[in-house]
Amino acid sequence: MNPLIIGAFIFALTLVLLATGMPIAFALGITALFFMVLNDGWMAITFLPETLFSGLDDFTLASIPMFIIMGAAVASSRAGSDLYEALSRWLYKVPGSLVISNIGACALFSALTGSSPATCAAIGKMGIPEMRRRGYDADLATGAIAAGGTLGILIPPSVTMILYGIASETSIGALFIAGILPGLLLTSLFIAWALFLSWKRGNTQVFAGQSYTLAQRLELMPKLLPLMLVVVGVIYSLYGGIATPSEAAGVGAALCLAMVVVIYRMWTVKDLWHIFRDALRESGMLLMIIGMSVLFSYAMSSSLVTQSVATAIAEMDVNRWVMLGAVNVFLLVLGCFLPPAAIILMTTPIILPVITAAGFDPIWFGVMLTINMELGLITPPVGLNLFVINGITPDVKLTTILRGAFPFMMCMVLAIVLLCFFPGIATWLPSVLMG
Amino acid sequence: MSEVYKWVCRVSTAVGIFAAGLMFVAILVVCHMVFVRAVLNESSIWQTEFVTFALIAATFLGAPYILLTRGHVNVDLLPILLGESGRRRLAWLATLLSFGFCMVLFYSSVHWWWEAWELGLTTPSIWRARLWIPYLSLPVGLGLLCLQYAVDMWALAKGLSSPFAPIVTNDSVPQESAA
Repeated sequence: MNPLIIGAFIFALTLVLLATGMPIAFALGITALFFMVLNDGWMAITFLPETLFSGLDDFTLASIPMFIIMGAAVASSRAGSDLYEALSRWLYKVPGSLVISNIGACALFSALTGSSPATCAAIGKMGIPEMRRRGYDADLATGAIAAGGTLGILIPPSVTMILYGIASETSIGALFIAGILPGLLLTSLFIAWALFLSWKRGNTQVFAGQSYTLAQRLELMPKLLPLMLVVVGVIYSLYGGIATPSEAAGVGAALCLAMVVVIYRMWTVKDLWHIFRDALRESGMLLMIIGMSVLFSYAMSSSLVTQSVATAIAEMDVNRWVMLGAVNVFLLVLGCFLPPAAIILMTTPIILPVITAAGFDPIWFGVMLTINMELGLITPPVGLNLFVINGITPDVKLTTILRGAFPFMMCMVLAIVLLCFFPGIATWLPSVLMG
Repeated sequence: MSEVYKWVCRVSTAVGIFAAGLMFVAILVVCHMVFVRAVLNESSIWQTEFVTFALIAATFLGAPYILLTRGHVNVDLLPILLGESGRRRLAWLATLLSFGFCMVLFYSSVHWWWEAWELGLTTPSIWRARLWIPYLSLPVGLGLLCLQYAVDMWALAKGLSSPFAPIVTNDSVPQESAA
C-alpha cells in the first residue's frame, strides 16, 4: 500500500482512539501496535518491550523528571505568592503596577517552574482575587494570568523545549537561550496590552494611598534570590557546556528541594510526598507518552510514512513562507486538542526535515513551535490554563476568561509574525553566547 | 470484590510511593555523579545507567498510581460533549481498549524479562548491570496497571466511579492533572 495512504490511516486511527478519551500514551501505543502487526505480523508484539525500553534508555531524558521535580518543589512552596508580593511592593508607584506585577510574576515564576499550569495556579491564586478586589474587570484579571501562565513553556527551563530538543536532536542549551528574548518580548506585549486596557478602563490609580519602606521591599528578597540564583546557575552551566542537561537539572532539583525545605520549612513527610507525588504524576505521564511515541515513530518509519510525507511536502514546491504558515495553522489546530508533549513527539520527525530543507533554522522553529503550543494552552476546547483559572475563580464564566484571553492570543500571533520578520529575536542570543 | 478493589488501590499507591522514592534516589545519584566528576576528577561508572534505569522503573511502577489518580492525560472533548449514557459507553470502550493494550504489553514484557533472566544479560558498560533488574519494572508495573484497569472497570460497572472521573479511596486523594 502507498505509504501516504498508510499515513492517512495512522492519522485517522490515532484521532479516533484519542477521541474515546483514553490516555494519549495508550492511544499512540495501540496505533503503533496495529500498524506494527500489519507490517511485521504477530511477531511484532515481541519487539514492543525492547523498543519501549530502549526508547526511554537515554540519559538526556532524565532531565525531564529532574526539571519537573525542580518545578514541583518551587510550585508546592509559597514562592509564587512571595514573588507576586515582592513585585507588588517594588512596583506599587508605577501606573497599572498590579497588572505588571501579575504578568511579571508569571514570567519569573515560569523560570522557576517551567510549567504553565503551575504558573497559572501559583500566581493566579494571589493575583486574580487581588486584581478583582481593586476593581479590575474579571476578563482582564483572568485573561492576563491565563496568558501569563503560558510563558512557563517558553522562558527557560522548559520541559517542552527539552522534548523538542530531544525529538529534533538540537542543543537543549541553545533552545533555552533562544527562548529568553522571545519570552521577554511576549511578556512586554502582554504587559503593554494589559496596561492599555486598564488605562482605558480607568484602573491606573489602584495603589493610591499605599506605600512600602525600603526594608519592606527588601523583606522577601532573601527567600526568592536563592531560588532565582539556582535557575540562573542551571542555565549558565548548560550554555557554558559545564554540565549536561540532566546533570544541571539534577543538581538544580536537589538545590531547589533543599531550599524549599530550609526557606519554606517544608520538611514534613507530607510536604515531601506532595512534591514527589506531583512530580511522579507529571513525569510518569510524560515519559509514558515519550515511550509510546517511540513505538509510534517506529511504526511510521517502518511503514515509510515519515519519509514519504516529508518528500511529498517538499515536492509540492510551494513558497517556503506559505508552507511555514500552513505548518503553523496545523500546529495551532493540533494545539487546540492535544498537549504540547504529544504534538512535539508526533509531528517533529515529519515536520522538521521539511522545515530545515526549506532553509529555516531548527532552533528558531523550536521557539515558534513553543509559542504555538502556548496558544493551544489558552484555546478552547482543551486549553489547560483556561480550566486552571476556572478552578481558581469558579464564579467567572469560561466565556469571560476566553474573552479576556483573546487579545493575549493575538499578542502571541503578533510575536510569531515578529519572529518571522526578525528571526534574530530567537537566534541572536544563542549565536552570541554559544557561537 | 470490594476488598480486592481497595487492596489494588492500596498496592497501586504503595508502589507509587516506591516510584517517587526512586526519583528521589535518582536526584542523589546525579549529584554524586557530578561530585565524582567535577570535584574528584574521576570518571563515573554506574551512575548514568542507574539514573536512567531508576527513572524508567519509576515511570512503569508509577503508572498504576497515575491511572488511579487520573494523571494519564487524555483528550476529553467528546466525553464532555456526550450525555451520561454516551459517556459511560465511551468510558467502557476507552477502558477496554487500554486494558487490552496493557495486557498485550504485559504478556510480551514477561517473556522479554524472562529471556534476560535466563540468558543472564548484562549492559555492555564497565558496570555490567544485570538487565533483568531494570527490565522487571515493566512486567510488574504493567501487571499492576492491568489490575488497576480491572478494578476500574469493576468500579464503573458498580457505579462506584463516574465515567472519566477519579476513583476515590481512603488511601489516595485524586489530584487535578498538572500536565
